Amino acid sequence: MQNHFTRRDFLKASLITGSAAVIGSPFYLLERNAYAAKEEFEGPLPNIEVGGIIRPPGALPEKEFRAKCISCGVCVNVCHTMKYDAIAVAGIKDIRNFGTPYIKDMRDFPCELCMECPKHCPTDALKNLKKEKVTMGMALIDFGLCFGWNGDVCLSCSKACPMGANIFDFYNGEWGNQPYINENCVGCGLCVKYCPLGGSAIKVITERQYEKVKTPYVDEFKRLLAMSNEERYNIVYGQNLPQIMAKGRLVEREYR
Amino acid sequence: MSYELKDKETLNSELRTPNSLLKLSNLRRFVMFSVLIFFLLQFFRVKALVGGLSGSLARWFVKLIDVFAYFESLAASKDFTTTTLIAVVPIIGIYLIFGRAFCGWVCPMDFLFEIVDGFKNWSKVKVKASPKIGYGIAAGLLVVSGLLGIPFFTNYISHLTNFFRFITGGVFLALNLPFEPSVLVYSGGVIVFLLVFEYIFPRTWCRVLCPVGKTYGLFNKVSLLKLKYYPGECGECNLCDRLCYMNVKIARHIDQPGLRDINCIYCGRCAEGCETKGKLVKLSLK
Ligand code: SF4
Ligand code: SF4
Ligand code: SF4
Ligand code: SF4
Repeated sequence: MQNHFTRRDFLKASLITGSAAVIGSPFYLLERNAYAAKEEFEGPLPNIEVGGIIRPPGALPEKEFRAKCISCGVCVNVCHTMKYDAIAVAGIKDIRNFGTPYIKDMRDFPCELCMECPKHCPTDALKNLKKEKVTMGMALIDFGLCFGWNGDVCLSCSKACPMGANIFDFYNGEWGNQPYINENCVGCGLCVKYCPLGGSAIKVITERQYEKVKTPYVDEFKRLLAMSNEERYNIVYGQNLPQIMAKGRLVEREYR
Repeated sequence: MSYELKDKETLNSELRTPNSLLKLSNLRRFVMFSVLIFFLLQFFRVKALVGGLSGSLARWFVKLIDVFAYFESLAASKDFTTTTLIAVVPIIGIYLIFGRAFCGWVCPMDFLFEIVDGFKNWSKVKVKASPKIGYGIAAGLLVVSGLLGIPFFTNYISHLTNFFRFITGGVFLALNLPFEPSVLVYSGGVIVFLLVFEYIFPRTWCRVLCPVGKTYGLFNKVSLLKLKYYPGECGECNLCDRLCYMNVKIARHIDQPGLRDINCIYCGRCAEGCETKGKLVKLSLK
């Protein structure tokens, strides 16, 4: 029965390929997942929403992006091939964005700004541009959680940031080295990953959301800098440090 | 002249030909699996073929986009870009040569459908819906994409997008990488739905509905690859017609030099089935 060989042969071939993949994947897994154990803390700035989804770098404005992206998965797998794995495919909850790429987990898989995905998007939904010009979002430091704002010294986020001195301003003083992220931030999320505080002290929100929360956030920043020592003491020792202690310092995350 | 109706076993044994190594059905499965394996290599971080059959990146260099996906993206964005045009040109080039061979030689659904078809008594299948309906559907989908501002078919319904999205989701789940479980469920669901649909209405998806196939079907009208008839005496066994699951009427055009049917996917079953041992019907590039 020659004709039956065809199908059986190919089924066999696919079985062999399949089992090879199954057997091979544990070894492949060993290569990654330095932070496999996920943190259970509530993230920083719980009162500020992300305000939508964070796109890969070079994304067109939302409406145009949705119109062009065909959910082909090139960006997702380009990022996977680069070993960064930053891009996930959006789920069905947000039906308009279903199937389109976004950066899901900046704590463990931020965008490393290799700029390969915008270079290779076949529809130009992601447009190739210089990494300094990227506008994925805006990173905000939670002043109540950051070590640098609560009497300690920590430079991890600024060292991790690919834009470095362009973006980080420091207000050194008695209460720490007080980092502040200015509006040049491109929103890649590397600082989120390397913040040693359990659950991170930095949150990346969309540019649109930033416009909304900008005033209260900047006011809070100015208020802290202008505050008397006594008031600040109460905030740091009364409110902040207990929370910070609970979340702990994950030294292995610190950027060196 | 009448012919006796043969059952499936007899039909299948008619396909036995001595030179089995070069049989088209083997060759086209080889092509399909090769493409699939190149795509699977991306999960091992090999930069061979990245993406899926809706859009991909070959050798980290050549961008490719499916022709219908191209039109949908264009309809939704109403914005022309050279990047996308450059990505669709190689695909148009390939199918100007091979016509709708995409469906028979590359599309993974053809393989899955063939497995489902195996559970069905093919000789009892009745064909009703006209393949022309598909062009209306394709045009409708372009209008919907334009109105919604989202490539509607390609993003939500496409068997190609969902097939590759499902695999990507599965791999990311297994490797503990960022992914959304609902993507896996939705895309897997679409594929399962299509397989069930295939069981109830065999090849109706391919023959009537699928806009990707319809688009490549248009290429059949001008492609180099076509069905060609060779002189000889037709046994009027009608095996060619009955082996063709795309319902192309081959035998009745036998007095013509060739056939360019929008539904022909160049699987070669008619040529293999021809009682005169592949002499009367052939796939031809000339
Ligand atoms: S590569 Fe472009 S078209 Fe494809 S999924 Fe990513 S953004 Fe969308
Ligand atoms: S720029 Fe690189 S790291 Fe960032 S999302 Fe794109 S491929 Fe991933
Ligand atoms: S501040 Fe953080 S999110 Fe902004 S560019 Fe630097 S590392 Fe990226
Ligand atoms: S890494 Fe975290 S704790 Fe350290 S300075 Fe930056 S935000 Fe503060």
